[in-house]
Amino acid sequence: MNGWLLTAGVVLAAGGAAALLGVATGPLRRRVVAQNLLTALACPGLLLLAQAYDRPSYVDVALVLALLGPVGTLVFARLLADELAADPPRARTLTWAAAGLGAAVVVVLCAAVGPSRAMVKLLVTGALLIVGNVIASHALSGGFPGESR
Amino acid sequence: MRRRTVLALAEFLIWWAALLALWLVLVSAVDTLELAVGAGAAGLGALAATAARRAVTAP
Repeated sequence: MNGWLLTAGVVLAAGGAAALLGVATGPLRRRVVAQNLLTALACPGLLLLAQAYDRPSYVDVALVLALLGPVGTLVFARLLADELAADPPRARTLTWAAAGLGAAVVVVLCAAVGPSRAMVKLLVTGALLIVGNVIASHALSGGFPGESR
Repeated sequence: MRRRTVLALAEFLIWWAALLALWLVLVSAVDTLELAVGAGAAGLGALAATAARRAVTAP
């Protein structure tokens, strides 16, 4: 076991468990936020696993998740618009904490990979992850009222 | 009219260059075939992106 695997395990086990608990219990506004954060935690975990197993092509899994996760959250934001408007979630701190985790993981991995095409791919994945999650979180808290028809 | 054509062409070329760069970053090995396929796919993507941008922003 190396440090990458250990970090990935900690991120996936601790973060994943907390997010699953949030999805399974509590009011709707907490569940949708936890569902959104699950992507933000799983994606850095997958990036760390790709580095741990020394398989750069596994980064594709994280890339696809970074692309599709926020889209899934936007579907929930649209379908649950009425319920969420009555009781909007507020998760500014959590959203930025998850974005910070993603950014930290990507920066460390970039330093480990060194300047190359793989590093640009990591940066693209990280940018998609952070921007996607911030937008999805904004949509959940009713940030785009005109779009929730 | 002429100015609009030049602007549309410039937009298409910018999309094409950005999408081709993205393709070349994401493929596992850069060679001539990947370059050709990527150029074609980026062209299709640039057409779609230009059309989508026009559909969203009302003229």
